[in-house]
Amino acid sequence: MFPTYFYLRVEGLYFVISMKNFCLAPWHCAGFVAAALLLNACAPNQDTPTPTTRVDVSRYLAVGDTYTSGFSAGGLTRASQEYAYPNLIARQLQGASNGASFSQPLLEAGTGAGYFSLVDFPADGFFRTRRVDGQAVRATVINPAACAGADTVRLLARSATAGTLPQNLGVPGLRLTQIEFPGLGNENLAVPGATFNPYFERLLSTGSDQTYLKSVTDATATSTFFTFFLGIDDLMPYVRAGGQCGPVPNSTLTTQLRQNAKKILDQLTAGGRPGIIARLPSFTNLPLLRAGKGLDLQARLQSKFKDDALIYIEDPIGLGRTQPITDDDYVLATTIPRVGQLTEVLVGTTTLVLPYGRDIRNPLRDADVLDKDELSRVSVVVSSYNNELDRLASEVYKLPVITPAKKQSTLDLDVALFNPVAGSISVAGVTYTAEPVRGNFFSLDYYSLTPRGNALLANTFISAFNKAYRANIPTIDANNLPTSAQ
Amino acid sequence: MRLRFLFLLPLFSGLTASAGGFDTGPQGARVLGLGGASTAYIGSIAGISVNPGLLGHLGDSLLRVSMGGMGQVRRSSFIGQDTYQRTDQDLTVQPGGYFYATHAVSHRFAVGLAVTTPYGYHTKWPETWEGRSVIQESRLNTYFVQPTVGIKLNDNFNAGLGVVYAFGKYSQRRALGQYDDPTAQAKYTSSGSGLGLNVGLYGRTGDNLSFGISYRSGVKLKMTNGKATTTGIPDRDGALYPRTGDFTTDFSLPSSLSVGVANRITKNLLVSFDFTLTGWSTQDSLRLNVSASGDAPDRRITTARRYEDALAFRVGAEYQIGPKFTALAGLRYDETPIRDEYINPEFIDANRLGLSTGFSYQFSPRLALEAGYAFDYGQLRNARADQLNEAVANISGSYRTTTHTASVGVALAF
Repeated sequence: MFPTYFYLRVEGLYFVISMKNFCLAPWHCAGFVAAALLLNACAPNQDTPTPTTRVDVSRYLAVGDTYTSGFSAGGLTRASQEYAYPNLIARQLQGASNGASFSQPLLEAGTGAGYFSLVDFPADGFFRTRRVDGQAVRATVINPAACAGADTVRLLARSATAGTLPQNLGVPGLRLTQIEFPGLGNENLAVPGATFNPYFERLLSTGSDQTYLKSVTDATATSTFFTFFLGIDDLMPYVRAGGQCGPVPNSTLTTQLRQNAKKILDQLTAGGRPGIIARLPSFTNLPLLRAGKGLDLQARLQSKFKDDALIYIEDPIGLGRTQPITDDDYVLATTIPRVGQLTEVLVGTTTLVLPYGRDIRNPLRDADVLDKDELSRVSVVVSSYNNELDRLASEVYKLPVITPAKKQSTLDLDVALFNPVAGSISVAGVTYTAEPVRGNFFSLDYYSLTPRGNALLANTFISAFNKAYRANIPTIDANNLPTSAQ
Repeated sequence: MRLRFLFLLPLFSGLTASAGGFDTGPQGARVLGLGGASTAYIGSIAGISVNPGLLGHLGDSLLRVSMGGMGQVRRSSFIGQDTYQRTDQDLTVQPGGYFYATHAVSHRFAVGLAVTTPYGYHTKWPETWEGRSVIQESRLNTYFVQPTVGIKLNDNFNAGLGVVYAFGKYSQRRALGQYDDPTAQAKYTSSGSGLGLNVGLYGRTGDNLSFGISYRSGVKLKMTNGKATTTGIPDRDGALYPRTGDFTTDFSLPSSLSVGVANRITKNLLVSFDFTLTGWSTQDSLRLNVSASGDAPDRRITTARRYEDALAFRVGAEYQIGPKFTALAGLRYDETPIRDEYINPEFIDANRLGLSTGFSYQFSPRLALEAGYAFDYGQLRNARADQLNEAVANISGSYRTTTHTASVGVALAF
């Protein structure tokens, strides 16, 4: 189309310039005008940039946890895996790298491991969900004595390619502290209270004791490029339990996270393999906490119930009295629907029916709130871990700089994506916010991403890659993707 | 030549716009062929829409009529800044036309009428293009009716005054890309009218050199009958986007100040030169004030435009080839009123270089056939959207625009 058009356009100009020679009769001119109008069939040309990269991205390896696996709306399905950000990145890399391929441990099409679907979205803004059972669940193991109440582990149909490691090594719920634990993916350990990950289990051959670290090591043998986004799931159990369960964020955990990240990164960067290391975003940007930010939630509830009741929480230290919530305390999003519901509570010797959390005699329980002390413990671990990733990237692995202003060689997801989304952004006319459902970024589990959120995350990685490795990889038109993976 | 008119520059300050931007080109087949340099051109009565001062000179005892049709194709291509996706605008023809009539009522006075379609655009992007939530289609059509009076001040000087009644229709639609349904869409249509003035002077120094100066005021189209409709909204958000609503808006059409000189170089060759400042800066923002409907409160949808006044330089030549045949050619440079920061796919414009050509064939003293064609090539424009400013819907990328304008008409005398 381009050469034809160019030719015609030159002809058109030539016609104009040579008017006096050609247009000696009106009919002659009319013919030229008609020809000129035909030119309109083509729009003006522009040079489209060609996707290019200087580093070999033909064999991409993605290491990570829930986010990386494509988990969305509380579950993993084949559709959600297709929209996993590593798969979206891989698709974009293929334009610049002939023959590049990317493999994922895909579930059979259908409801996969089960997920949340939207029931309704009442005018008060507190939407309701229900859980859809997954057809890939082949057995459940219930641990009635789990810290936060009965816990269910769902064993899943094994990946069709089990035994052959996929290039997407994102495993939902994977903890850095467990990467050297033999049997993490062995069904024999699928018993109440044991350290076991059913999503890792389905990647390995039956009864394999292979550790996650060994899996990464094996997979790197054929990889030319990597992304690393791991660590959130070490802290998630603590956050989800309002600080009552899960590994306590302290200096021991920090050290473990830092050391184990290095063990994986040593493998990923071996031989100068290029890649992108992502820092962890702050938890307060996730709707799980953000939706229940103390005073904001209090104001929303006051307008919902048309009163001026405060929210009360138990004293975080457990010694003092019930106290009003502050803006540094976060009610878990999963608790929000229960706040203000009438519950029975024993006051002195009398049982009263009082609104949960909205009466000083019926405060929110510790497990329903991540208070400011608990949150600051989490933040200390996250920031120390992120600093270590930074140090490793620039000083040890000598990765190229992504953010020149800060001389950072890691990808700061907060700055590049999560903070802007929290303040709402407009992408080609579509607004994205941190609110699930209408915000189109976070999924119904208040934590993982929608397909569009995954596309924006993939774009963040691609932009970082383009900057660091001076490449031209096109980004994804996120608005073209569905708003939910189910 | 340009220096001679520098003294006029202070006059221009504070005016709003008519070159570049969404003007649809010179309003007449013959002046289109001439490249629009018609402020001091008396070869066609079409000049009275630009300079009413010409009327005193043009008006004679005959009833002269000039009328014809026009069509403009304005088309842009787009390449997404980060996505590298290329999108071409759909082909649209912006229809237009003109009707002029002049007649001298006495030795000193002449009356005239000009009906033109001076502003408008029809932007149509493919339904599923990258920027569909910014704009899918936007349309403006305007019709100017200008009764005009011309006065012969003396043998060499003429003044003219016209009153402009303008009517305009505006519509736009865009996808609501936050929903999965590809047909989710918001549409806005409205129409309205406004009044303006057009004054001008035309003079000659000797037989060969003539000059003109004119000023047309801006026109504000007040649109109070706007209808907003939405389709494809899921039930849960029905209260946020009511199916129908009313809105009001204003559309500011620019003023224009033109000066021109025409010089008969030889018996057969006339060259004319124009310099126009268009007061586009009245086009500040497009504000759609949508009134409350059902549970949805009233809201305002604003697209910042912040146009700048823009200059256009035009040169035209007319060559008499035979007793009946006249050839026309023109060259023009139109500045765009759109600043880099406010490039928006609803209407794309760029500094444009234009070439034009045309002819007039005189079948008889009372009938001439006229035709003109112009091609404009725009500079590459780069738009940068700020994602953090969620109130502004825009898309980053580069645009290239070309326009083709063609017109055919007849000039009659009774």
